[in-house]
Amino acid sequence: MLTKALPGDPVYSMVGERSSPEIIEKIRKEIGADKGVVRQYAGYVTLLVQGELGRSYFTGRKVIDDICVKFPNTMRLACASMIIAAPLGIFFGFLSAKKRGKFTDRVITLFSVSGISVPVFWSGLLLMLFFSLRMRLLPPSGTGGMQYLLLPAITLSLPALATLVRITRVMVIDIMDMPYIRTARAKGITEAGVSMVHILKNALIPVITVIGLEFASYLNGAVLTETIFGWDGIGRYAMEGIIKRDYPVIMGCLLVGTLVFVFINLIVDVIYHYADPRVRVHGTGR
Amino acid sequence: MGLAGKLSLGALAFIFLLSIAAPLIVPYDPNAIDLDSLRQSPSTRHLLGTDNKGRDIFARLLHGGKISIGISLLAALVSMTIGLAVGLVSGYAGGKTDTALMSLVDLILSFPTLLLAIGVSIVLPAGIYSVMIALSAVGWASFARLIRGHILSLKEIAFIEAARSLGCTGSRIMIVHLLPQCIPLALVMAGLKAGGYILTEAGLSFLGLGAQPPTATWGSMISTSRVFISSASWMVFPPGIMIAVTAVCFNLLGDALKEKYDVRDGKGL
Repeated sequence: MLTKALPGDPVYSMVGERSSPEIIEKIRKEIGADKGVVRQYAGYVTLLVQGELGRSYFTGRKVIDDICVKFPNTMRLACASMIIAAPLGIFFGFLSAKKRGKFTDRVITLFSVSGISVPVFWSGLLLMLFFSLRMRLLPPSGTGGMQYLLLPAITLSLPALATLVRITRVMVIDIMDMPYIRTARAKGITEAGVSMVHILKNALIPVITVIGLEFASYLNGAVLTETIFGWDGIGRYAMEGIIKRDYPVIMGCLLVGTLVFVFINLIVDVIYHYADPRVRVHGTGR
Repeated sequence: MGLAGKLSLGALAFIFLLSIAAPLIVPYDPNAIDLDSLRQSPSTRHLLGTDNKGRDIFARLLHGGKISIGISLLAALVSMTIGLAVGLVSGYAGGKTDTALMSLVDLILSFPTLLLAIGVSIVLPAGIYSVMIALSAVGWASFARLIRGHILSLKEIAFIEAARSLGCTGSRIMIVHLLPQCIPLALVMAGLKAGGYILTEAGLSFLGLGAQPPTATWGSMISTSRVFISSASWMVFPPGIMIAVTAVCFNLLGDALKEKYDVRDGKGL
């Protein structure tokens, strides 16, 4: 609704500034820009109800078709990043908690704070600079197989990796001080057994939430990463729409992004229900 | 506050002072185009080299810092103020007001941050202020949620009941008795938020939605350097390092404050 009312005329960016007023008027009629805001909005809602997102002003293709082509690419990138981030994040978070206050902990903490502070579009450029332009190991940009996927996936995984390290560390430290851990040790369970069964299993429950939220945010953090690496996904599609003021595309991407976000939140809540018996007992959630 | 907190506060103050005093430090105008010295690598004349229009990178870096840090701090302040006001009213009033305000907060929090910020900043004419408004419009919700929770627990304490039985009005209780209790919490959150805002602001200006050219911001400098990455790689490093260092400092400061005031925000981070 808001995006319809913004400045920056799409008609001008379609035909350029020097075209005749008649052409502009004709295109205006075609995309319905001559109607009032309310009628435009009503028209959009009608489209939505029919399961349509309209057509791009520029390519004339249906937005929904484009999204169906690009979404799997984004999904592939997001999955690859999570496969990198989740195990490493949990491992280093756990290690950091176990060595609390020691040198290892300090180093890991330093890296995790840096991880959440470095902008992805910059770390992406650096990776590209070293691995593609200097060492010529991997292609700098494009969409395709494993060699194309690797750099953007690593770039995208860094902030999530750092967040996972931080949250795992906090949770493990909290749990390590619980009386039942002392009980487990007193019963003579090996250190490895205590770590795996008693500590990690309980610490991982909130970690699930973070993984879910991070996964959802990949679908918007991916705007930057996809733009840099020329990955043909939803993020880049949205970005191109924004630059050209292609409103149906922008609206479509915002809508899909939000739906995905809500959907993943829902899935996380469902997983919680199974992973944490306490949620089931109280029935009130976290 | 621990050593890390003090160090990062010092570093932040240093970076901020440098960018305010930029005209005194570098002799170059950050926007002056010098066609005789296009894309020169770092030298004694241009400490960090020049960019594709012959502009001094060091000058742009310092001037850009003023904008990037300024926007983030201001946005943190604005979203803190809105969040405090909404959280106070929502937590104290309860009932339908609370439900209505918190539904709005939930609505905002259910959007991905960057996407929502992009959405807001394309509605407004591109520029410094629209970035600030976008960041604040998205950011106040988490403040409101946090403050409301804090108010709910404060409300149960006896001094509020005492104030009420002495005949204090609702607004007086909120402003005089409850507000001061929320300030430390809000400041911790603001510190942590400012670190995130630096990144989001950089992201927005990287995408061309922030301050418009020729104004330098760290994000837009990275965006320009991207085109020349193979021929002028020295353009890539400085702005990114500055963003990272500033964000690290804000995060460490937030962590240190959190420890000092023993605060736990909802995320447990």
